Amino acid sequence: MTNEAIYAEIEPVFRELFDDYEGPVNAELTGNDVDQWDSLGHVQLVVSIEQIFGVRFDPQEVTDLPNLGALVDLIAAKKSG
Amino acid sequence: MNKLEAYPTLSRLYDLQLEVFPAHEDFLKRRFENSSDEHIGEVAQLAEIVERIAGYNLRVIAEDYAWLTDRMLEEEYHFRRTGKYRLSTFEEAERTVYADPVFMQKYMNGVLLSHLWWGNHSRVIVYFRRQFLPLIREGGSHLEVGPGHGLLLYLAAQSQAGSVTGWDVSETSLKNTRNALQAMGVEKPIALEAHNIVNAPSQKFDSLTFSEVLEHLEEPLEALKILRSLLNEGGKIFVHAPVNSPAPDHIYLFEDPEAIIDMVEQAGFKIEKTECFPGMDAPIDRARKLKLTISTIVVGTAI
Ligand SMILES: C[S@@+](CC[C@H](N)C(=O)[O-])C[C@H]1O[C@@H](n2cnc3c(N)ncnc32)[C@H](O)[C@@H]1O
Repeated sequence: MTNEAIYAEIEPVFRELFDDYEGPVNAELTGNDVDQWDSLGHVQLVVSIEQIFGVRFDPQEVTDLPNLGALVDLIAAKKSG
Repeated sequence: MNKLEAYPTLSRLYDLQLEVFPAHEDFLKRRFENSSDEHIGEVAQLAEIVERIAGYNLRVIAEDYAWLTDRMLEEEYHFRRTGKYRLSTFEEAERTVYADPVFMQKYMNGVLLSHLWWGNHSRVIVYFRRQFLPLIREGGSHLEVGPGHGLLLYLAAQSQAGSVTGWDVSETSLKNTRNALQAMGVEKPIALEAHNIVNAPSQKFDSLTFSEVLEHLEEPLEALKILRSLLNEGGKIFVHAPVNSPAPDHIYLFEDPEAIIDMVEQAGFKIEKTECFPGMDAPIDRARKLKLTISTIVVGTAI
């Protein structure tokens, strides 16, 4: 699965969860750019992603990621692995 | 943090919290950036009380708060994945939480500090002081079931109530409540006793606090009926319970505030006032849509 396809699936979920944010949804995004993206919002994002892509994360591996790109890379790795 | 500068105790606790839990900086910054000056003033008053209750244990309590946020995150993953709370029986909660002195102590310490750091929790306390305590009968007898860390029982003891009683299943909670009342120099008659609300002795009180206990019960409606029987007619009750709020000892899932309000009414109370405080101070519509935690308050009269 290409990263592009992953972003296409994630974007609507991301915008639904964090509806105050209006900028682009891309690899560089961090919690600092998106006010509503706090630790609990992150759990909802991760669990939605698990459901969409049929993958499972260990909470440790998705805590303290530097940006959205790192999360997308993890999804891509799980989908190909 | 600039906004807290006028309040030395709150600032000190804030700095201490970040010293032991630096990863919490974004969260705490947002929490206070999004709060009005008025609310920060109210939290500063609570900080004075929390600091006195904590005494020389303050650093440990700040560490236990950090520990609690980890436990909560684990529960949050479970809840979002399954749509259910991890535990479903009182027996499991009792064994793994209330009757485990080490776990329970950390837990109550963390909850005590959450009243400063979580907007919904601090707003519940402010509401309790402003809207509920004035309804307590002058010289009346007041009961709290599940006082835990003791903060709300202390506030009730400060009101015009004549005497205060606390019942809790956990020896650790009774000890914490006793310490809190002592640290705050409460002089009124106090009775603290080990009781499970489902087997409560038949006594009568004029007012009652039931905060963050309803969601810990297998049959919350039955418990509310028991509470009704403990109140004199016209007695006031303060019920506070959260919806969609996973925690290590939550077993009964309320999915919206109405489920709580309706249950209080069904148990024989006239509903006087209700209030909702979403977690992270989210707008209520967003909290409902995303099924976020909503701290729900119901003030009722025994009829
Ligand atoms: C989360 S604490 C609430 C502390 C405080 N009231 C507050 O609102 O922050 C829950 C308390 O209820 C007690 N509890 C749980 N189930 C109970 C029961 N069936 N009867 C009496 N107390 C109970 C626990 O031991 C604990 O002290």
